[in-house]
Amino acid sequence: MPNDNPFQDPLRFERQAPECAVVIFGANGDLTKRKLIPALYRLAYDRRLAAGFAVVGTSRTPMTDDQFREKMREAVEKFSEDTPLDEDVWGAFARGLYYIAGDVKDPGMYQTLAAKLEQVEGERHTGGNVLFYLSTQPSQYAIIARGIGAGGMGKGGGWRRLVVEKPFGHDMASARELSNQLHEVFDESDVYRIDHYLGKETVQNILAFRFGNGIFEPLWNRRYVDHVQITGAESIGVEGRGAYYQEVGALDDMIQNHLLQVMATVAMEPSASFRATSVRDERSKLLRSIRPWSPDEVLKNTVPGQYGPARIGGEDVPGFRQEPGVDPAAQTDTYAGLTLYVDTWRWAGVPFYIRTGKRLPKRVTEIAIQFKSAPLHLFNRDADADGLNLLILRIQPEEGISLRFLSKRPGSGMTLRPVSMDFNYGSSFGERSPSAYETLLLDAIIGDPTLYTRQDMVEASWAVVEPIQNVWRNHKFDFPNYASGSWGPAASDEMLARNGHAWRRP
Amino acid sequence: MSATVAPEKILKELAALWVEEGKHGSAGVLRACSMTLVVMAEESEDASALGETLAALMPEHPARTILVRLRAGAERALSERVYQQCWMPFGQRRQICCEQIELIASDAALGDLPSVLLPLVVADLPVILWCRCPRLAAMPEFGEIARLATKVVMDSGAFGDAPAALARMAEAQGHGLRVADLAWTRLTRWREMLARVFENRDHLARLSGVGEVKVTCGRRHESSAWYLAAWTRNALADAGLSPAIAVVPNAEAIRIELSGAELRVVLRCDGGTLAVTVNDLTNQTHLEPASDYLLMREELAIVRRDTVFERTLSTAARLAVSSKSE
Repeated sequence: MPNDNPFQDPLRFERQAPECAVVIFGANGDLTKRKLIPALYRLAYDRRLAAGFAVVGTSRTPMTDDQFREKMREAVEKFSEDTPLDEDVWGAFARGLYYIAGDVKDPGMYQTLAAKLEQVEGERHTGGNVLFYLSTQPSQYAIIARGIGAGGMGKGGGWRRLVVEKPFGHDMASARELSNQLHEVFDESDVYRIDHYLGKETVQNILAFRFGNGIFEPLWNRRYVDHVQITGAESIGVEGRGAYYQEVGALDDMIQNHLLQVMATVAMEPSASFRATSVRDERSKLLRSIRPWSPDEVLKNTVPGQYGPARIGGEDVPGFRQEPGVDPAAQTDTYAGLTLYVDTWRWAGVPFYIRTGKRLPKRVTEIAIQFKSAPLHLFNRDADADGLNLLILRIQPEEGISLRFLSKRPGSGMTLRPVSMDFNYGSSFGERSPSAYETLLLDAIIGDPTLYTRQDMVEASWAVVEPIQNVWRNHKFDFPNYASGSWGPAASDEMLARNGHAWRRP
Repeated sequence: MSATVAPEKILKELAALWVEEGKHGSAGVLRACSMTLVVMAEESEDASALGETLAALMPEHPARTILVRLRAGAERALSERVYQQCWMPFGQRRQICCEQIELIASDAALGDLPSVLLPLVVADLPVILWCRCPRLAAMPEFGEIARLATKVVMDSGAFGDAPAALARMAEAQGHGLRVADLAWTRLTRWREMLARVFENRDHLARLSGVGEVKVTCGRRHESSAWYLAAWTRNALADAGLSPAIAVVPNAEAIRIELSGAELRVVLRCDGGTLAVTVNDLTNQTHLEPASDYLLMREELAIVRRDTVFERTLSTAARLAVSSKSE
């Protein structure tokens, strides 16, 4: 009997998702409406889902199946930016939507859910496969996992997988504790920790760029790279989520997960294959190679920030402490700038500067790899042309890659000016890129965890972030220290200036 | 009509187009090119329909397109014109433009075509030859033109004698030509649906019991039927199985049935739907009509070797030729 499907032809058609039921906890929440259901609908629209597919939504709000379907239809109409609502596709998709109301703390809810899954399996032929998606408050993850186990749904006729959203704990100890609690019901191989940054096409393209081409990798090391800057900037503030955000901060919200994963993708060693284990092993090794800072070093190599009020574009913008629900004396970091070093032969001595913040001048995520200057300056150069061999990997909003180098200005004499050679993802490929959630949900259904975060990766990230977190929590900073609409605190510029570097203005 | 074409002149005209576009474009234009697409079609073919197909392909597969319109007859004639195809991607300010060259060549001038095409292909990028006229494939000049191409796309469904067409394509493949057949491309959705059946572990476990594969088809789809039978045979052989294979032409429509002790899988086209029956359970899915645009869109995305197709073509040609001689 064959173990693999002999009819697959990956060159012509993508591997099909097996039949399954997706159980969404928190089905009345924002994530479900904005991301999950639109992504699943798009997969149905693209015929990527099996005929035997169903979604069982659950939350505390009482609703019938039909009311849930109607609500999800509104969500698809509102939030599917580039996918029209096709009545035929929606009709078939909606027939597979079910709902049960209940409190995740109520053991009876899991009995009801188990009965519903049995009904769904009979009606939709989902093959006993179930993907549980926890789109709830993190404090409920362990409760739900236990409930699934107690309800007899952790094991069954088909596969059982669990997808959890970040944060994966709030420090090393809580991350470990959470993993242990999930492992009471699910094996680590069945736990899919989602980091939607890794599902972005352009983050995946970093791997293609590095390991699919022969010309860049030889330069990708301390001999040629001067330093690396990773920026994850947001122009918006906390947008009504002040009460939640003041407990988290920029360091935990963005760097511990998204930006460290991006850094791992940029700096990891080539994996032996593109199989999940190999790629994740290399990411994990890189994260474990980041030098953790001692308390003294934290103050020299990291900068927290908090935005203050300002006038942007003729509009008064409140500072973080003036946001609704925020403590007027909050010490929360809405900006974090770090200098990190990777202790490997490839990267020894190369600073990796990471910054993220709210209310920065624009929304941009990019990686800038600054190469070392030519050893001798033979030519006249314009004043701003120093150190201008720069490779920029733009993740959002305009995905692409730019290479900046020096070129002779037209005319007599040899004066050099920087020029940019641009590759624009959107113009070069007419195809639509799938959203991160489409990619990641399909991967979870197929059982490919390559783009998901593993327990050891989470712990390695906390090993970097926790010492910083500890110092920041025990230190009183003079906040606010940057105006809304600026590129962050002056201390962050000074941190780079000490190494003879400067933050780019993306 | 002129009987000569100077590639240098065509290239100059193309360069002039870009300079002109740069002068007038408000936000500038972006030149996009991922391949050279040489299309050979009869002059009598509906030019606007073909033009629409090519225009639809460009956003996804930007190419320098060289459309060769073939004029039957002994009079020697060769002429050209150049133009651009531009579009504005959604949400962007810059136009993207591709180059198009149209050549008209009489049968008598076919021998001159390779020397015209060779300087016109874009350096370092793949050259795809889409041959839309079956009679050209039988002409001695075709081999020389095909040798310029990274991949030659034909449609054996348009040839009168399916076994002979498959045999000719398999022979060309044997001589190192990378060929593609739209009769095979039309089957992608069918193959995808059949593959999907065996994503189910229970069905996969019962595959070993399959002892018979039967493909029926209408005359128009005979080459597709041979491909379907050959591909199924190869896939089952990979699973260690060697069931009896039968292709029955002259039926109403295409249909495939795999049958065994515990499993019966049938795929059949019913109007605009593809019905997939596994034992007693039938699922229907919308089957989009396979337009030239959709078929070429798929083929242009595959520039490297397609080992599944190559193997299937060899098997299909062997099965079809041996059935003809029986």
